[in-house]
Amino acid sequence: MKRLFNPIKDKSSEIIEYLMSSPDMPSDESLRFKLRLSIEEAVDNVVRYAYAGGIGWLEAGTELSPDGLQLLITLRDAGIPFNPLDIEDPDITLSANDREIGGLGIFLCKQLMDHITYSYSDGCNILTMVKNLNPCK
Amino acid sequence: MQVIISSHDNQTVVTLTGRVDTTNAEQFLQDISPLMEGDNPDIVVDCSGMDYTSSQGLRVFLMLQKSVGSRKGRLVLKDMQPQVREVFDITGFSNIITIV
Repeated sequence: MKRLFNPIKDKSSEIIEYLMSSPDMPSDESLRFKLRLSIEEAVDNVVRYAYAGGIGWLEAGTELSPDGLQLLITLRDAGIPFNPLDIEDPDITLSANDREIGGLGIFLCKQLMDHITYSYSDGCNILTMVKNLNPCK
Repeated sequence: MQVIISSHDNQTVVTLTGRVDTTNAEQFLQDISPLMEGDNPDIVVDCSGMDYTSSQGLRVFLMLQKSVGSRKGRLVLKDMQPQVREVFDITGFSNIITIV
């Protein structure tokens, strides 16, 4: 399922709830926690930065792989071309004094999801986050 | 999210309940801003009722840790739920903030 949100300013919560209510979502609470956090970070990134705070749209959707073992979450927007995977990971070994405030959102997505891909096509950023649904894995 | 601040024997206790996310992290920051000043702060945050934090919440915890550390104080987060603890672990925050 997928849906177009336009405009997206101040709509983070609505977009997150839409994705979390998808029938593709697992019921396992631990998985849902990780998925919600990843979705929040990715959606918030688009809402805050894709259109430099201006008016814009976001298409958000979920899909299961044909074997049902993977959940794919896709976000598409026509904002400033931006590959979040290019952002350098924070150095998590630094002391509190040396840690920079911020820059953790995409890092969390990368840690919590099993696979993330980014492409820029037809003037759109397309981010796909994949989570394996076998909680025993 | 609910933030309750109380003082006992020169120790400040912050009881944090609910979710800290992109919608309320700024409010969280405002709520604890009185704790960002004063000498030798001794702050305990009761996290037992906090069931979620996003990076925006982590950001506020780091700001508080930096502030407390610069004043030679001590910040302790206690009774964190396992899923929230995992977020602190994978971001390295467990190494820079005392969690008991």
